[in-house]
Amino acid sequence: MATVQTDQVTLTVNGQSVTVPKGTLILDAAKKVGIDIPIFCSHPKMAPVAVCRMCLVEVEKMPKLQPACAVYVAEGMVVKTTTEQVNKYQKGVLEFLLINHPLDCPICDKGGECPLQDQTYQYGPGASRYQFDKAHFDKSVPLSDKIVLDRERCILCWRCTRFSEEISGERELALIQRGVHTIIGTFNDEPAQSAYQGNWTEICPVGALTSRQYRFISRPWDLDRTPSVCPGCSMGCNIQIDARNNKIGRFQSRENVAVDDSWLCDFGRYSFPNFQRQSQERPRIRRGGRLEDVSYDEAIAFTVDGLKRAGGQAAGWASPADTNEELLLFRRLFRDVLRSPHLDHRSATVVDAEPGDMTLSIADIERLEHVVLLGGQEVIDAAPVLHLRLFKSQRKGVTVLKVGAGQVAEAVAGVSPDCTAVGILATEANKAAAVDLQTKLQRKIKGSVRRLIVTTGPNGRGAKDLGILPHLGPGYVALNGQAGTGRTEWPGAGLRALYVHESSPLHGFTPTDAESMWLPTVPLLVFHRFKPSPLDEMAHVILPGHAFTEKDGTVTNMEGRVQRIRKGIDAAWVREDWLVFQEIANQLGASWSYESVGQITSDLVRGLPPYMAVNQEARVLWSERP
Amino acid sequence: MALREVLLGPIYIARALLTTFKHNTRPIVTIEYPERQKAVPPRERGKHILHRYADGLEKCVGCELCAIACPVGCIVVEAAENPGERYAKRYEINLLRCIYCGMCEEACPYDAITMGPRYDLADDHPDKFIAVKEDMLEPLSASVGDTAVPSGAPSAQPVPRKW
Repeated sequence: MATVQTDQVTLTVNGQSVTVPKGTLILDAAKKVGIDIPIFCSHPKMAPVAVCRMCLVEVEKMPKLQPACAVYVAEGMVVKTTTEQVNKYQKGVLEFLLINHPLDCPICDKGGECPLQDQTYQYGPGASRYQFDKAHFDKSVPLSDKIVLDRERCILCWRCTRFSEEISGERELALIQRGVHTIIGTFNDEPAQSAYQGNWTEICPVGALTSRQYRFISRPWDLDRTPSVCPGCSMGCNIQIDARNNKIGRFQSRENVAVDDSWLCDFGRYSFPNFQRQSQERPRIRRGGRLEDVSYDEAIAFTVDGLKRAGGQAAGWASPADTNEELLLFRRLFRDVLRSPHLDHRSATVVDAEPGDMTLSIADIERLEHVVLLGGQEVIDAAPVLHLRLFKSQRKGVTVLKVGAGQVAEAVAGVSPDCTAVGILATEANKAAAVDLQTKLQRKIKGSVRRLIVTTGPNGRGAKDLGILPHLGPGYVALNGQAGTGRTEWPGAGLRALYVHESSPLHGFTPTDAESMWLPTVPLLVFHRFKPSPLDEMAHVILPGHAFTEKDGTVTNMEGRVQRIRKGIDAAWVREDWLVFQEIANQLGASWSYESVGQITSDLVRGLPPYMAVNQEARVLWSERP
Repeated sequence: MALREVLLGPIYIARALLTTFKHNTRPIVTIEYPERQKAVPPRERGKHILHRYADGLEKCVGCELCAIACPVGCIVVEAAENPGERYAKRYEINLLRCIYCGMCEEACPYDAITMGPRYDLADDHPDKFIAVKEDMLEPLSASVGDTAVPSGAPSAQPVPRKW
């Protein structure tokens, strides 16, 4: 019988026929028809090793049980996952694992969300026949200042060691000793240095690797989980805010293949204490040299009064951690209501912005032939999860070229002329060099050259897109003849008011030396922020606002992907930031009537059609302007 | 009719008095509370007690299994870390909401909480019915001798582990 040669394979799992591409694992084929095979060592992002033997299944015509996580499907394969023999082996594997695994679930941070616990209940034996003392290893070993290792609980699934070898490429964790003495650890027991250690705790199928910060904080069933976006950098990794009693306990990763590939860096993951409120504070205004507690209405009236007097001489600084909705109102407040062009979101480094900065998407790095990392480690430090993507690309055969910011000539020389796709990654500070390199490479090679500029703050890109810049309007339209002054020029510009809005202490308004001299001389300094800071000393009005983790809205990551953030912590006594903007604008003569963040979002999309992407959490695509 | 009742009246009264005097000879069931206290059965489910190990260390590790087993949700537990060990930093029971069912006792993997014999829990303000850890902890003297350590602080000696 002639069969058609395809790259599809049809097999039977528990009597159900399933067609999958060649090279699929039995495990994934079974998952496709909703059949659950228990696993410990297998991880979808890592190569199979089949060390835990939990996923053993019966395959017809094969003499022994086969590990479903390591056997690829074949045409006509008949797989059975629920036979008596499979059940017997699953019980056996679990009984062996539990011989030395301590039953200290009540004090284990993983208890309640532990695959070993769950699978023992589902597939395991009810009791152990082992009558001797369990093997004892070291408990609560500090692997680094972030991670606690419990060697007794480890079931040696190799997930963490494989992560450190295959995903981050740091090869920091390893299996030490042999046989029953096997433990995991670092070389010479030195503290782990990796910037991605938090992921170990997340992939660990038992409570062997736990987070120092989350230690004994909560049980998983106590947590309120809110999907959001990491406030750490412009990568825009998807996170889940796990809070207990309105206090953040941890950030967990949430897979988004296009952005984070299910990983987080430690900088972002452990940044949540910055978003913890210390006290409930009220708005304050400076009267007779000292700050007094007042109501929101009074503080807003005071601000309006000052802004009215400043008019076009009022400057506004919005942090790159604000949501797009806030930035839209902020821009309108300054450009349309106050008629002031002095708007900025940048810190000391002043860089130009254009849509061409994000022609390369994060996921596309894998599909390039050559990546030039202009500035080397600088780029990784600005967005650490990029390293994981680069390492993955490297394993796929992409050449990664790390050069210093000034070494454009070396970078050009390093790329061969018959390259078809080249990408350039650089930080904002090195943007000029990146553009220079792009033009030179474009002249040298036939293929496409695209660049991705790593912006600052979780919404630095949104701030640029929405025109929180002195010389550009929304959508990178030049403000002809109406350009204002940028942050670095403010100290000498004779401004009469400064409105600072920040919602993340990680991306706040840190005064430079020149600004420290200038700030006390500004007639009105409005500081709209969420946490006390040194700037309070100089402010005339302090308006408490919401933190990044306390509000709804959208943020745009460095590649222009618009993603939603949601309220993970409820700070109801604080008036919503956008509502404050609206009240200020209305008292200055505007007639805004937004009732929810959603209405602002739809207005944003109407005014700036590329932001339609917000509805699909997709990328904003600008047609490039010359 | 009426005359008959008049004539039989004394007999009715005598019968009633007989009942009264019969009860006089029976043992007294009421006690002089609160001067005298009733003996409670050994498995009485009264106010909760948090136990300690022989060396004075609290048995409770703050695993919250009691809180999740509680059918009325009257238990709040928050754990914290003493070097190397987990303990309940906060342990509160709302005694007004508690139905004294004893599920917490059954759920506890360390036998740290049991229902005690105390039933005289009346008070004059709802706030006073929130039992905090100190209200329920066994006094140190009850379980330890001279080697007592202060409440809440774990001992320096290794703790007997159940697992």
